[in-house]
Amino acid sequence: MGSSTSHLSKELLTEYQELTFLTKQEILLAHKRFSDLLPQESRNMEDSLRVRVSTEQILTLPELKANPFRERICRVFSTAPERDSLSFEDFLDLFSVFSDAATPEIKSHYAFRIFDFDDDGTLNKEDLKQLVNCLTGEGQDTQLSTTEMKQLIENILEESDIDRDGTINLSEFQHVISRSPDFTSSFKIVL
Amino acid sequence: MASFLLRQRSTQSDLEPPESLGEVLWEEEVERICSTKVALQALPYAMMDKRLIRHLREPDGVKTSFWEQWKKKWQRVHQQFLDVSHRLMGIFGLWKTDLYEIGGLFGTGIQSYFTFLRFLMVLNLLTFLLTSSLVLLPLAWLHSPEPGPALNTSYHCPTSREPQPDLSRIHLHLWDVFTGRALSNTYLFYGSYRMGPESDSQYSVRLAYLLSPLTCLLLCFCGTVRRMVKGLLHKRLLSRDYRPRLSSKVFVSWDFCIRSREAATIKQHSISNEFKIELQEEQRTLQMQQQTRKQRARQLLSYVGLNMIIGLLVVGGISAIYWATKFSQNYKDESLSLLLQYMSPGVISLVNNLGPLLFGFLVQLENYPPNTEINLTLFWCVVLKLSSLGMFLFSLRQQAVLCSGRSDHSSCEPHGYNQCDQCWENSVGQELYKLSIFDFFLMLAFAFLITLPRRLLVDHLSGQFWVWLGREEFLVPKNVLDIVAGQTITWMGLFYCPLLPLLTSIFIFFTFYVKKYTLLRNCRPSPRLFQASSATFFFQLVLLLGLLVASVPLLYVISSIPSSVNCGLFSNYSAPWQVVPEAMALRLSPSAQKVFYYFGSNTFWYPILILLSLTLTVCLSQSGANKRAIKGLRRQLLWQVREKWHLVEDLSRLLQESGGSDSWGPESPSSRSSRPRSFCPGFPCPGSPRSRSFMDPGK
Repeated sequence: MGSSTSHLSKELLTEYQELTFLTKQEILLAHKRFSDLLPQESRNMEDSLRVRVSTEQILTLPELKANPFRERICRVFSTAPERDSLSFEDFLDLFSVFSDAATPEIKSHYAFRIFDFDDDGTLNKEDLKQLVNCLTGEGQDTQLSTTEMKQLIENILEESDIDRDGTINLSEFQHVISRSPDFTSSFKIVL
Repeated sequence: MASFLLRQRSTQSDLEPPESLGEVLWEEEVERICSTKVALQALPYAMMDKRLIRHLREPDGVKTSFWEQWKKKWQRVHQQFLDVSHRLMGIFGLWKTDLYEIGGLFGTGIQSYFTFLRFLMVLNLLTFLLTSSLVLLPLAWLHSPEPGPALNTSYHCPTSREPQPDLSRIHLHLWDVFTGRALSNTYLFYGSYRMGPESDSQYSVRLAYLLSPLTCLLLCFCGTVRRMVKGLLHKRLLSRDYRPRLSSKVFVSWDFCIRSREAATIKQHSISNEFKIELQEEQRTLQMQQQTRKQRARQLLSYVGLNMIIGLLVVGGISAIYWATKFSQNYKDESLSLLLQYMSPGVISLVNNLGPLLFGFLVQLENYPPNTEINLTLFWCVVLKLSSLGMFLFSLRQQAVLCSGRSDHSSCEPHGYNQCDQCWENSVGQELYKLSIFDFFLMLAFAFLITLPRRLLVDHLSGQFWVWLGREEFLVPKNVLDIVAGQTITWMGLFYCPLLPLLTSIFIFFTFYVKKYTLLRNCRPSPRLFQASSATFFFQLVLLLGLLVASVPLLYVISSIPSSVNCGLFSNYSAPWQVVPEAMALRLSPSAQKVFYYFGSNTFWYPILILLSLTLTVCLSQSGANKRAIKGLRRQLLWQVREKWHLVEDLSRLLQESGGSDSWGPESPSSRSSRPRSFCPGFPCPGSPRSRSFMDPGK
């Protein structure tokens, strides 16, 4: 059992407030939730900042459990070489981007990276196909047929691919997002 | 510091020839980021990288100027202030956890309805505060005469005219509360406000009473228009080029705040339906474009015919309301039976509940695409609701206006408007009060006597019928229309019943909990996707229409209709608005008066009108020029990208011909994907070389 008080130091809190969009309350709450995911022996202050939590454990959080993009989210925010675990700072980054105060630009940037399933910097047809499958779910009656999928993807590319290279890059994506006022309120996860 | 970035650099330097170019580009990227003024929080990099950038921007040990230090201190204080205020707001944040729960279970579309409820409650409370601080407090402070019944100085009236029914006293008092009679001598209604004649030194309560409803309506109008204009940019008025309809649906429709599996499944179902409907509509549009002229004419004719039939039904419903109001006003005091007192609200509710069912049925006969069906039904429901309220007020006013200010009152006797009871403003106020109460209790009745039994029967009985019936659907547009109608009634009654906003906010408070209970326990969410933004735009639009329906009669009454002789604040004026010129004459100097008269005259408004038309013309021509410029820029972008890829192809061909290995040119996919992407997100340049499809440009 580590030390019972796990209060972050004031300098650390100020630094996190400067580097993220979270308020002090939110940072402390995030630290508490992160510590709950750690094994008992690592719940003290230094270890909680150093130890990484595996993706499977993060996915047990109720905020992420029902999200079809949960694996992509963990992968995008992970700084481990194999992209399979999150440190506390990655955790804070995650909730900073998904918080209320984050700017639409940073949200659209990370949304692009989450939807980029093959991590190549653009959304090509395969990425879009996987995106639509995530949105419609796995059920037989909700999945789109092949023709419908083809038609949908062609429509999307027709509308958003301005330079007609067959893929959607970051600026085209941000252009589409800027036309939707819903985005900021729907791209939000609050602890 | 063993930062992630430095590890990046080492992996990059392991690669083949492009790494010299890669390093140069990487350094340029770092420089660019360090020199931008973007706040650290808003940089899309991991925490370690942000620390590095902060270190590069202001290395430790470099003396920062006094100005920089002061700025930093100020930022820290500002941050602390924001923290404290957030915590305070958290205490006052009404219903935050409830909204969070609803959003987590049903998504942001339905959550926006509840946010709208909270907004309206706050609006009503603020209206009430404004009215009470401007009118009630000064009245109490100036020790005005007690609120009381109308003075009947010149006519001899019997003491009581209504027949006393044989009821117990408690029942009588309750009944009087519901009809507003018990409260007619309190500050709730117009008739009991009284004040001495105007003087130039005292606070003019009359002016305050007149101007506070107008100010409230004006502020609500400005607020609503401002919120609507923000959403207008993204709405249907823009051409197809600016409206990436399907793409924004795909990229934006998932609500990341959903936390339960069932809600996620429901959401996936509704998204899938939405896509299928959109694709079907697309097919249908393509088909329609290939129709012959005759078929198109026939479709247009049937569309117009349908609208005319529905219009006739609306007119029929409204005339029913008119006759019902006239009938109930005729026999107002003859008996206290439930039916007659609440006849007009009853007829209004009947018309407004049957109407949408009929419209939906008729529209479905025509087999339109789903979006058109929904929009058409919604449009006619809005028209019906608001025009029924307008007609109700109009018929009330007709009865009242016909019988006031006349010397010969014989024809008004059967209507109950005689000199002793001549406070038509009170009657109108009481009718609106009754309508408000009736709406609230009707909502309760629907929730507990129809939705709840339906859920119990569907859950516990098994049979084909019950399975088909299912639980009630929570329809957001219908609920919004109801709430906006209630708000319109409140706005209509601002002049006659100044404390009505307080009553409305209490009703909305309870409505929130009842609706939440109904949604969570007794309803199923609609399979139709209802995005929050279109919801908000729709709310604001309907609210604006309700505001117009409420303000036009009010302005007419204030400026032209003489008020009752025996009650209220404006008994000696030909119209309530006459207080304003009188107050101005009393309090302002002649030159100031001249200025105000100038503002009200024609010579001021004609030039303003001309100026506004000129501005509008300039704006329209500017927007046309912008559209052309955007088209030109898009074409340019297309050519440049094609040119770039031609050059790359030529270059790679030349290098291959000159015997180099295949290490130069577009990088192979394998080396690219092995590099983690956390730094330099725009790099390498967009457009993976794997996608050769650009070679067949377009389709």
